Amino acid sequence: MKGFAKKAAALLLALVMVMGLAACSKESGSTGDGANAGAESSDKKEFDSKTLKIFLPGAYMEDSLVPAFEKEYGVKVIVENFDSNEMMYTKLSAGDSYDVLIPSDYMIERLMKEDALQPIDKSVITNLSNLADQTKNLVYDPDNTYSVPYFWGNVGLVYNKNNVPKEEIEAKGYDILKDTKYKGHIYMYDSERDGFMIAFKQLGYSCNTDNEAEINAAYEWLVELNKTMDPVYVTDEVIDAMANGQKDIAIVYSGDAAYVLSENPNMGYCAPNCGTNKWFDAMVIPKNAENPKLANEFINYMLRNDVCEKNTMEVGYTSANKAVLDKMIAEDGEYADNEAYYPRTYDKDEVFRDNESLRKKLSELWIKVKAAK
Amino acid sequence: MKQFRKMTYPYVAWISVMIIVPMILILLYAITTEGNGVVNFNFTIDNFVRFFSDSIFLEVLGRSLRVALITTVLCIVLGYIPAYYIAKCSDGIKMKWVLIITFPTWINMLVRTYAWIGILQNDGIINTILGWVGIGPVDMIYTEFAVILGMVYNFIPFMILQIYTSLSKMDNSLIEAAQDLGANRFQCFWRITFPLSLPGVISGITLVFLPAVSSFCIPKLLGGGQYVLVGNVIESQFLTSGDWNFGSAISLIMAIIIMISMYITKKVDKTEIGERASA
Repeated sequence: MKGFAKKAAALLLALVMVMGLAACSKESGSTGDGANAGAESSDKKEFDSKTLKIFLPGAYMEDSLVPAFEKEYGVKVIVENFDSNEMMYTKLSAGDSYDVLIPSDYMIERLMKEDALQPIDKSVITNLSNLADQTKNLVYDPDNTYSVPYFWGNVGLVYNKNNVPKEEIEAKGYDILKDTKYKGHIYMYDSERDGFMIAFKQLGYSCNTDNEAEINAAYEWLVELNKTMDPVYVTDEVIDAMANGQKDIAIVYSGDAAYVLSENPNMGYCAPNCGTNKWFDAMVIPKNAENPKLANEFINYMLRNDVCEKNTMEVGYTSANKAVLDKMIAEDGEYADNEAYYPRTYDKDEVFRDNESLRKKLSELWIKVKAAK
Repeated sequence: MKQFRKMTYPYVAWISVMIIVPMILILLYAITTEGNGVVNFNFTIDNFVRFFSDSIFLEVLGRSLRVALITTVLCIVLGYIPAYYIAKCSDGIKMKWVLIITFPTWINMLVRTYAWIGILQNDGIINTILGWVGIGPVDMIYTEFAVILGMVYNFIPFMILQIYTSLSKMDNSLIEAAQDLGANRFQCFWRITFPLSLPGVISGITLVFLPAVSSFCIPKLLGGGQYVLVGNVIESQFLTSGDWNFGSAISLIMAIIIMISMYITKKVDKTEIGERASA
């Protein structure tokens, strides 16, 4: 009798699982139908039930945008996230295929050099004219042959205004990270390019230098910081941690900083006087994309005013869309009083360039910076 | 019988493809330079020299071994007592205990480790309770304490189950015989129960030490990026630096260290049990 009960339980479990699967497939089928009905009149029918694979940084797109696109075009979108550009590159070079990537400037430059991207189709991406002036004519792809800007911004310090005086952080810049008063109260960003950028800039070098002596000086600067200050190296965790006021000072991308500042009024943002990194993340289509046509449609969709507005409101990063950007920073705009949202124009701020020898040295040194005790 | 032997072929093929080929690839990567073609290789020992000539990497190796050792010892000490009690329970209760012990392992390890962040962080559960009693926030997250706690928590079920299994296989009449001969409870434990549980302890050590020494996500999540163990160095070589050759070389070094430590534990196992049996 006991044996029978066991068998019955196993059977029941199997049944439940099969029914679960059936329910899943049914659900996806029905969304497809609904979308078809809506798109009947347009030429979107050709994408019927195709799959689009996009690969972008974590928490970098408003949640409703992808389902809305799926519905409008009657397609399925698979979203995958990466922690850093370098991680994205590793997956891509291991042979994984994606239709749309959203990497940063220097990584796009590298992918262009390695002939890993395909030109975008400007006849499809008619919304290209929506781009803000600041995101046009970028040094790595001046006429948007391969890339369409998505978000942009800079890197700076988020600090707790109650514990760190504004005058002090503005005077010291990145050197405040080595002030032992704040030992144990610091978040560093766990990315080799950003980590070294801080040291390069504070030491007065270009963040694109591949001069051996300058790299070594920056390495020593970072090792000393690691040894004396007990910093914690995080990536996206920094956003919630600073919004909760876990530590006093953190290296944060301006877009994340804008979110932190809007969540926690005690936080301030400072882009140091020594200059910092100005960056542009853009949508690109890799050579091995399976649905390049749909990828172009997706990029065009992501440039639409309503989509850009939803996206920047939720994510907090600076929109590359002119109308939306103007609306956000207007006097009654969502980010009117947010010091992190609108990146400054400053001659000491630099865009990262791809440089093979620099890249190799930094990736070799970064793990050693973190391991040095 | 011969026709049965043929049935092993799929397994042999499976093992070669899934285990042996990747091992050979790791070896090949470890002893070559970057950017080789399919046909010609440039052999080198630079990858190994680079690891052993850098004091930072050696420090990381030492730290990994130390943390793994502390984790293993804590798992034995903390795991032995529950294992002993479970083995003493009646059969029905035994199964329930085993279920309870294995229950956390049904949940993904990453999720369980993330939960510890919420418990340990400065505005987490523990510090909130401490705050009510007036004790200021104690820094627990992103320390060595947090990493070891996370490891012990994740790996202790393996130790408990191993010790429990070997204890429950033990013949109870041995203890009765010892008691008849006048041994007290401590002597019974030390001379009979403990030696007989050693095989379980030894395989528990293997099951705890190996994942602990090469773990990379626990130190990353609970140690906070600046707490670098060998697993993290290997991970960074593959995921961010893209230096597969150096990463493979470190993996190989770790594999050799692990093989040596397994050899030693096996040796200890045999001599220990032999000595005690004859004593």
